[in-house]
Amino acid sequence: MVFQPTMTAAFLISVALLTQASPTAVEPAGILITRQLAESRGLTVGSVVKLATDPAGAHARLFRVDGIYEPTPDPMHFAQPQLDARMHLPDLLALEAGMPDERDRRGVTSINVALSDRDAERFALDVAARVPGLVARATSAPDDRTNTFIVVERFHLAIAIVTVVGSAVFLLALMVMLVDERRSTVGILRLIGFTRRRILLQVFIEGAVIALAGAAAGILFALASQRLFNGFFQWRYDTTLVFLRITPSVVWRSLAMAVPFGIAASLVASWTFLRQQLLALIRR
Amino acid sequence: MRALRLAWLTVVRQPARSCLGILGVAAVGALLFDMLLLSRGLILSFRDLLDRAGFDVRVVASDTLPFNGPRLEDATALARLIASLPEVEAVQQVRVADAETASGDFRRRIEFVGADPQARPMWTIVAGQDIAGRGEAALVINRHLAQTLRLSPGSSMSLTGRCGEAQGAPPLAFTVAGIAEFPFDTATADTVAGALSAAGRLCGRTTEDTADLLVVRSRPDAGADAAAAAIRRARRDVHVVTSDDLVQQFNRTQFSYFRQISVVLATVTLFFGVLLIAVLLTVSVNQHLGEIATLRAIGLTRRRVVSGIVWESAMLVGAGGILALPLGTALSVWLDRILRSMPGVPADLHFFVFEPRALVIHALLLAMAAIAAAAYPVRIVAALPIAATLRREAVS
Repeated sequence: MVFQPTMTAAFLISVALLTQASPTAVEPAGILITRQLAESRGLTVGSVVKLATDPAGAHARLFRVDGIYEPTPDPMHFAQPQLDARMHLPDLLALEAGMPDERDRRGVTSINVALSDRDAERFALDVAARVPGLVARATSAPDDRTNTFIVVERFHLAIAIVTVVGSAVFLLALMVMLVDERRSTVGILRLIGFTRRRILLQVFIEGAVIALAGAAAGILFALASQRLFNGFFQWRYDTTLVFLRITPSVVWRSLAMAVPFGIAASLVASWTFLRQQLLALIRR
Repeated sequence: MRALRLAWLTVVRQPARSCLGILGVAAVGALLFDMLLLSRGLILSFRDLLDRAGFDVRVVASDTLPFNGPRLEDATALARLIASLPEVEAVQQVRVADAETASGDFRRRIEFVGADPQARPMWTIVAGQDIAGRGEAALVINRHLAQTLRLSPGSSMSLTGRCGEAQGAPPLAFTVAGIAEFPFDTATADTVAGALSAAGRLCGRTTEDTADLLVVRSRPDAGADAAAAAIRRARRDVHVVTSDDLVQQFNRTQFSYFRQISVVLATVTLFFGVLLIAVLLTVSVNQHLGEIATLRAIGLTRRRVVSGIVWESAMLVGAGGILALPLGTALSVWLDRILRSMPGVPADLHFFVFEPRALVIHALLLAMAAIAAAAYPVRIVAALPIAATLRREAVS
């Protein structure tokens, strides 16, 4: 089991004051900044900046931009620009030194641990038993923050249900009209000996083919437009987050809903005519 | 009026088809109406919550959101300075501290809001009394905490500050003066409010003069912008935001996703609605080309027949649109309940909020949809060759 407190990269600070400063004789510590921060402040690798945790700039220290990175997109904060800097832990502690606020106390927010045996659950229980008050959790454990996305998913599902209901009504209206158009054809088929069952089978097959073709067209349209949709939101929020992804599961779910609805609409619409007397069908 | 009657007769002649068309428009219209409610719902609801607190300007130490950034130093002097400005009616210092119940096996985490007891409170008393004039040991608590710990006005409770290094501060004894509603409380929040000095004492800091923010009420004749400008002139080192600024800031960041998604869904929904009506009308017109040609042949003008199609579209969309309102309202309640179950959302914040503007836009969009949907069938009817159509009908 390996304890490996991360000395870099794990601590983000909110930049209270960020100004480009002239290089000085004292070699400033290196930091990494996000692409968004670099673009918003016109910083490049090698720029020397002044950072402080105090809004008035008290206790500011000089840092040199050693690199610019694309931040891992955070779905919890995608609407806010990621103006983050990463620095070595001792530099962060030195920057916070002298802060009067208890919120800025010396200490770390979290310690990342890499396990050799990968039994994270057991390790978390072990830590909790040995150090009461310390929260240890596996990175794969359910996170309360994911509840937000579960709610958003539920919301989108609700919208999808309403859309499907609307589409079903639309489809039924269309099928009623199409079947009405074929009233005399159906009458003639009945006259020449086609049974109701056989006509219904034909309608079933036709409905299935139309529903499959419609669903396939819808999926192709979604696949084609997902890039547009993602592109728009990625541009809007300046993030690499993927907002829409057509997965096989989504495709199968769409087919599972659309095809039965299509077939059912065909059958319901046809059955209303097939139930009628033969003479009524041929309008005699 | 004859065109209207012609349209009415066409609609009632095929009731099943018309009903399905109206139902389809109602479903689409309900979704469209909901997206309109969603597009500004959060903003309106957030604005309402801000206004409910009774203060229209906030003063913080940095441009981060309140309670996320550093605290204001020498808060009392700053509050006095701001209170002396002619544009300002009242100032309230606010300091939020993390605390926990000091008794019982399970220590419940509590948010302690420290404020000046003499100033106008930011909460609404629903039972008992406010903390004003009751000393430092008086508290008001929210309903959730009152129900969970079975507390009522007059009950006692002990709180310990969660203060990091100063974790060892002794527990403080408080008396519940009343039960209050806090505008930004989540459904499961445990919030109490007490004297500003008590918030410091929770962590054993009796001399510290800091505040998370100052909330300011401007004089009605001056307004929030004038008050904010006066504060900025008086103290350039603090960050001043009006309620309007906050709403705009949230509109640009936190709430923008729902605004964008509502625009996308409203566009798709409207397109779908236009398609639905256009297909229904086109198929209907194609099925009755012979009748239309006959009507034209016996003297009905092109204009009247075309008007009939437009009226038919308007009837289907109008009836569906009217039906969409109660349907959309019911749907919005359901969708709002889903979204409000998001963690951290204030209990009184709503995603779907009705405003007359939404109704007007809904009507305008549906009117545009009705006209757009009628465009293609109108073109078919307008360009219909009467003689050729009649001949084709006779031959077939």
